[in-house]
Amino acid sequence: MSLLEVRDITVRFGGIVALDGLSFSIDEGQICGLIGPNGAGKTTMFNVVSRIYQPASGQVLYRGNDLVGARPRRLPLLGEVPFLGHQVGVPAHEIANLGIARTFQNLALFPSMSLLENVMVGAHSQGHVGFGRAITRIGTAKENRVTRDFAGDLLVQLGLGPLMFRPAAGLPFGTLKRLEIARALAARPSFLLMDEPASGLTHGEVDELGDTIVTIRDQFSLTVLLVEHHMSMVMSISDRVVAMEFGRKIAEGTPFEVQSDQRVIDAYLGTGV
Amino acid sequence: MKSLVTIHEGRAANWALRLVAGAAVIGVMLWVPTHGSNPLIDQFTNAFVLMAAAMSLNLLLGYTGQISLGHNAFFGIGAYATGIIVSRWGWSPLVTFPIAFIVAFVIGVLVSLPALRIKGIYLALVTLALGLVFPQFIKWRKLTWLTGGPRGLDNAGFNFSKKRRTYEIFGWNPFGDMRGQGAKPFYFWIAAGVVVITYLVCRGVVKSRSGRSLIAIRDNETAAAVMGVNLAGTKAMAFGISAGLCALPGCVSTILTNNVVPDSTFLSIAGSITFLIVMVIGGAGSLWGPIIGSGLYVFITQKTGDWSDEKNIPAIIRPFFSWAKTSPGTGIFAVTLIALMFVAPRGIVGVWHQHSPRLMRIVPRRAGTGTGTGTLVDTPVDDTVAGEL
Ligand SMILES: Nc1ncnc2c1ncn2[C@@H]1O[C@H](COP(=O)(O)OP(=O)(O)O)[C@@H](O)[C@H]1O
Ligand SMILES: [Mg+2]
Repeated sequence: MSLLEVRDITVRFGGIVALDGLSFSIDEGQICGLIGPNGAGKTTMFNVVSRIYQPASGQVLYRGNDLVGARPRRLPLLGEVPFLGHQVGVPAHEIANLGIARTFQNLALFPSMSLLENVMVGAHSQGHVGFGRAITRIGTAKENRVTRDFAGDLLVQLGLGPLMFRPAAGLPFGTLKRLEIARALAARPSFLLMDEPASGLTHGEVDELGDTIVTIRDQFSLTVLLVEHHMSMVMSISDRVVAMEFGRKIAEGTPFEVQSDQRVIDAYLGTGV
Repeated sequence: MKSLVTIHEGRAANWALRLVAGAAVIGVMLWVPTHGSNPLIDQFTNAFVLMAAAMSLNLLLGYTGQISLGHNAFFGIGAYATGIIVSRWGWSPLVTFPIAFIVAFVIGVLVSLPALRIKGIYLALVTLALGLVFPQFIKWRKLTWLTGGPRGLDNAGFNFSKKRRTYEIFGWNPFGDMRGQGAKPFYFWIAAGVVVITYLVCRGVVKSRSGRSLIAIRDNETAAAVMGVNLAGTKAMAFGISAGLCALPGCVSTILTNNVVPDSTFLSIAGSITFLIVMVIGGAGSLWGPIIGSGLYVFITQKTGDWSDEKNIPAIIRPFFSWAKTSPGTGIFAVTLIALMFVAPRGIVGVWHQHSPRLMRIVPRRAGTGTGTGTLVDTPVDDTVAGEL
């Protein structure tokens, strides 16, 4: 069974149709490239999965469960209660608990925090200390230590070890893109969505990033949905590629098939693929 | 950046530094109530009340980024909780603290419900309305049976007998002479206790997963939600805890004056503004900011308190204030505030963080288990931030 299945998703912003009946699916363990010209709707797709945008119609099935459709309202502790009506989709903050993590195209970091603290927030869904325990300090020291070490290890692995105590504000774009990956991994996800992780990197760094993505996929047993404009990287590491234009899927298949698809070539004409 | 002294967190030098700082604080705290003059004790006690209130606001505004101009209402809830319970029911003032906390917590959470959907200037307006309505609500005729109306409530603090009474611990007399209104050291300890509790609560929250989620909300709400932070629940808790904490100095204020009236400064909107100002001066979003800000505020208002008589103004600056008919204290404070906002937009603590690395740097403990990658131990740390003590 596929890990993620997107069925007929449509998203509108006023008159603009950002996603127009988009459907595709990703199998577990795959690296799936999602390509398309600017404005094709790739980031919008990410925001639908993150529950930031509510689609006008369609379904997003994650492990067979719909993330965006109406479902019985659930209460804390009590769970599903009859006669409480319905809520639309899974709340955004529960997505991380399901094992879905992402990075942001234009960076969504916590600028006043150090790199280490940024990654520690990334591990929020892994922690348990709420306000009551924080005030009484029951178990906070242990959780802080564990989270801190885990975050430190991730930063070291992504080559950010020496910078871990620096505030995120003011560091180069490429560095912060890597920080986004570290922060996303801190949630111990099983499904990672990366939105243009290679933007702001030099050519050498792009190749290195490709290796990193494959490494972390294997190490953390991830499924990866990768949006990227560096075609050589996408084509070399992806198991499958989905190509989009104007919110619709125009091609899908192995990197080779998609690369030689006439519609993909047309869509990218002039952008130098 | 080179610094004179480099201290590694967790090593002996770091502990020595903490010990010295802690001893200094404790030393002052012991000396003032036992050897200080009555006005000095008063000054500290008043500063403590302001400190606790500013710290509670700091948790909400400084750390979570949710503005509140209605904290005078939570302060007032504390003040009236003590007033009503002591004056009407005759309970001990000390038991009013937890009750005040709970009442203010619940009301804080309720107030936060509309606040969860609004931000910035709109949130400021909603909370401002709360702050403005509170004194009027207290004076509402139909509530006079409870709140005492505009005249407030008397006999709302400790009721000591006229007889001289002291509690000595091995010849040391920490509470002073507890009779009538003469229990200044005793009040000092109550106010200090509230500050310590507030500080410990704030510190516990800030240095935990929950505290990190507060700062995450302040820095980037969307990203915080994607990391799994329940925005509504977390903001509601921040509001509740902040409101509950703000009620505690309210209780103290009633105990200090032995009465409570709806028009006293901190119960009106001026209270909220004062909490806000001292927090910003000291440094929003830092644990020590409100403490330093309140200390400075009380110091300046005290120093300039008798300046309405021109003779009391120090000769050097007297020419600047010869036009003033009333005490120029507020004016001086306003000018200080404006000047500070230019040179230190992040408050006094911000200045410290900016310049202290030249003097002293505390290198945080390396994070990571060092397993897997061999690079951990010998990677030099590029730059570090000085940690708070
Ligand atoms: N929040 C928004 N409000 C209005 N229009 C939006 C919003 N987000 C995306 N869009 C529009 O949706 C379309 C798809 O954008 P996007 O998903 O960012 O494309 P991509 O990531 O593929 O470059 C664009 O036309 C964009 O202008
Ligand atoms: Mg995009």
